[in-house]
Amino acid sequence: MDYLVVFLVLVVFLQTRITDLRRAVICLASQSLIIACACFWLGLSHGGGLHAMLPGLLTLAVKVIFIPGAVWNLVGKLTNEREILSESNVNYSTMAAALFLVLGYAIVERLLPGSMGRDIIAASILMIMTGLSLMVLRKRAIIQIVGLITLENGIYLLGLLMTEGLPLVVELGVFLDVLIAVVVLVILTSRMRLSFMTTDTSVMKKLKG
Amino acid sequence: MDVLLCSLLVFLLGTLTIVWPKRLELAAHYAGMLCAIVASGMTAFSGLRYLLVPNDALLIEAKWGSYSLVADGWSSVFLVITGIAGFFISIYALDYARGYLGSRIRALTGMWNLFLFSIVAVLISGDAFTFIVSWEIMALVSFLLVNHEAGKKETVSAAYQYMVMTHLGTAAILVAFYLLGSHSASFAFADMMHNQLDGVMRHIAFLCAFAGFALKSGLMPLHIWLPNAHPAAPSHVSALMSGVMLKVALYGFGRFAFQFIGMEVFWYGLLVTVVGLISAFLGVLYATMEVDMKRILAYSSVENMGIIFAVFGCGMVLMSMNLFPLAVVAFTAAMVHAFSHSLMKGLMFMSAGAVMHATGSKNIEKMGGLIKKMPYTAFFTLIGAMALSSLPFTSGLIGEWLVLQSFITLAQQAGSPELRLLVVFAFVLLGLTGATALGCFVRLYGTAFLGCPRSQIVDRAHEQPFFMLLGMGIAAALVVMVGILPDPVVNTMQGIVAGPMTAPMGNPLGIIWGGSGRYAIYSPAIILAVTVLVTVFVAVALLGSKKFERRDVTWNCGTYPTSRQQYSATGFSKPLRRAFGSILNPQRRTEYIRKEHDYFGRKLKVHLEIPDLFTEKLYKPVQTWMISSSSAFRHIQEGSVSLYIGYTMIAMICVLIWGVL
Repeated sequence: MDYLVVFLVLVVFLQTRITDLRRAVICLASQSLIIACACFWLGLSHGGGLHAMLPGLLTLAVKVIFIPGAVWNLVGKLTNEREILSESNVNYSTMAAALFLVLGYAIVERLLPGSMGRDIIAASILMIMTGLSLMVLRKRAIIQIVGLITLENGIYLLGLLMTEGLPLVVELGVFLDVLIAVVVLVILTSRMRLSFMTTDTSVMKKLKG
Repeated sequence: MDVLLCSLLVFLLGTLTIVWPKRLELAAHYAGMLCAIVASGMTAFSGLRYLLVPNDALLIEAKWGSYSLVADGWSSVFLVITGIAGFFISIYALDYARGYLGSRIRALTGMWNLFLFSIVAVLISGDAFTFIVSWEIMALVSFLLVNHEAGKKETVSAAYQYMVMTHLGTAAILVAFYLLGSHSASFAFADMMHNQLDGVMRHIAFLCAFAGFALKSGLMPLHIWLPNAHPAAPSHVSALMSGVMLKVALYGFGRFAFQFIGMEVFWYGLLVTVVGLISAFLGVLYATMEVDMKRILAYSSVENMGIIFAVFGCGMVLMSMNLFPLAVVAFTAAMVHAFSHSLMKGLMFMSAGAVMHATGSKNIEKMGGLIKKMPYTAFFTLIGAMALSSLPFTSGLIGEWLVLQSFITLAQQAGSPELRLLVVFAFVLLGLTGATALGCFVRLYGTAFLGCPRSQIVDRAHEQPFFMLLGMGIAAALVVMVGILPDPVVNTMQGIVAGPMTAPMGNPLGIIWGGSGRYAIYSPAIILAVTVLVTVFVAVALLGSKKFERRDVTWNCGTYPTSRQQYSATGFSKPLRRAFGSILNPQRRTEYIRKEHDYFGRKLKVHLEIPDLFTEKLYKPVQTWMISSSSAFRHIQEGSVSLYIGYTMIAMICVLIWGVL
């Protein structure tokens, strides 16, 4: 489990550095894969069975295969892959991620002293905040989708750890929610590509009245 | 009770004209206006019957869930005002509103019924909820009516200004109701009479109620919607708004003052008096400066509501000094003047509508000599103008006379030098107001109806159709009737005021008309006799001599006097503009249209503007501040989604850090 957390933190930090869209998608898929592994691990430690394994399977199907696949397809259609980000935004997101990691550990120390999954909680807080910061600081729609999924993964991981398995209906609901959000986002992004020839969200400011 | 409820139903029936098919437009209009006439008549009838036949029971008492209807004497007075004004203005509107044929006349007629309905509903509502709901319907419907000619830009802006202002007023009234209701058993008026509110909160409740009702009745710092909304609305709507809706505000304030808040605190009355006096004087001063006929009348409404509130406040001061019988005089004055103002202002707005109908203009500078074209209208307008300048034989004098009488009693009872000073100030302002009002209406009537025509539009003018004349005629007849035989009106009002206060009623100051008292008594009969005598004497003296012979001009270089040589309306008010220049701050701008030489061959255009004192000094700064602070907020809310997510993130980080610390 500790290795998983280390990998997770590594992947999240990597995500803040990546500006290439394909690599960002791969990164996202591997991040989700780690989450799926964590799910399986928790499920096995709770004794296996379909209900214990279902979250892991769902994560694998939705977040590792379907969502990254859809975004990958979208990226394939983007002809204009010119990087328009300034270097500073990348550096800011990395620095913010570092601060969030510190914050996460501080929160665990203060609010949940002596809890078992100390590292996992810190990592999930890191993911939530980093996902948010990706959405705020980056301008490209694909990266913002990636940020959203990261945020979602963080919340999911935290929920998994704190509740030790949610009711099945809630989990299915959460997954459906994410699925639909991503489908809508992918459609919107491809519409945006058609209309503006770019997926830079800052051009959307033109639409303001 | 039955008659009153039936009248409400008939009003609602009239509202249904909105959904009549378009090809029956004219029929819908007539049907709706007939409903309004009948229902107004029923309202007036039920109110009058209650007032004239003394009984202890309430006029109406009904309850459905948390909504209830209660009407007592104080309501009945205003029901009579509403009924009578609604009656003659609806008759007038039968013909007048036909001018809107093809431009949503069904909506106009339907809204007219709904407006009257909501006014009656306000007057008979028995709890705060019903009151506020009806009040809001009244505000919204009057907004729609003001906005009827929505094609004009200034109409729309006036209507929206009215909307914003009236909602501010409603908000203030809501606060007052909430404060009082939360310290009572329930929000029913009967329970709110025994409210436990005291201390600072009571003062706040009073101030909120006063601000809200003062706004609706157009008292001075809160009047700015009024001179814009009245000219924008169709004339019969302005007549009803000015004649009745402003009085409804007095009704509400009276209910608060008599029943909910009480008048024990001295400065309540003082505040009302001072605000009223300032409104009265400044209102008539601005009225004298205007050249738009309906704006003149609108400012004159500010003046008259100011007088009414001033004398109401005078009554409150007298009440706080425990002088019930004297306070009765003041409250009677307020009600009599409210009644007569509803008649005369209704009449004047109707004649302004008739003049607009005939000439197509509201600008009195373009008129002149209308008396030859429309003699009946001119005669009725003369009566209205006389009443508004409170000349004898009109109802205007009765109200004003009682007002002055009650200020005299206040002067006699004033214990402290400060109060004496206030009364002196009041006398000066009331005197100035009266004199300026006389000048204002001499100017209005003289410029519009007398002299020679000032422009082509007068040539097109024609006498008005029958129902318009009938409406104006009824109003004029009532004005004269009340002016000559004021006893029934004044006695009834006095009885009503004395009732809810349960004060010992004697014969205070000999205000029994025609009786023998210790003070001067206004006797219309004597004045009538004297006037008849003087008229006969003058007529006899002039008879047979050649006093009206036309002498040709000697020193006019042989030219015939043209219409440009007569006194213009702007010129007529010039002395006042000079005298009160520091208040009015007239802005004069000269523009050369053609200038060939410094001394000849030049053509000038002079623009004169009188900016409203409160608009300039109070509203504009507030507006500027609000706009600048809003644009500061605009930077925060810029329309960028990632910025908004950023706010969420920052909030979250703050919460987390707070949790850590």
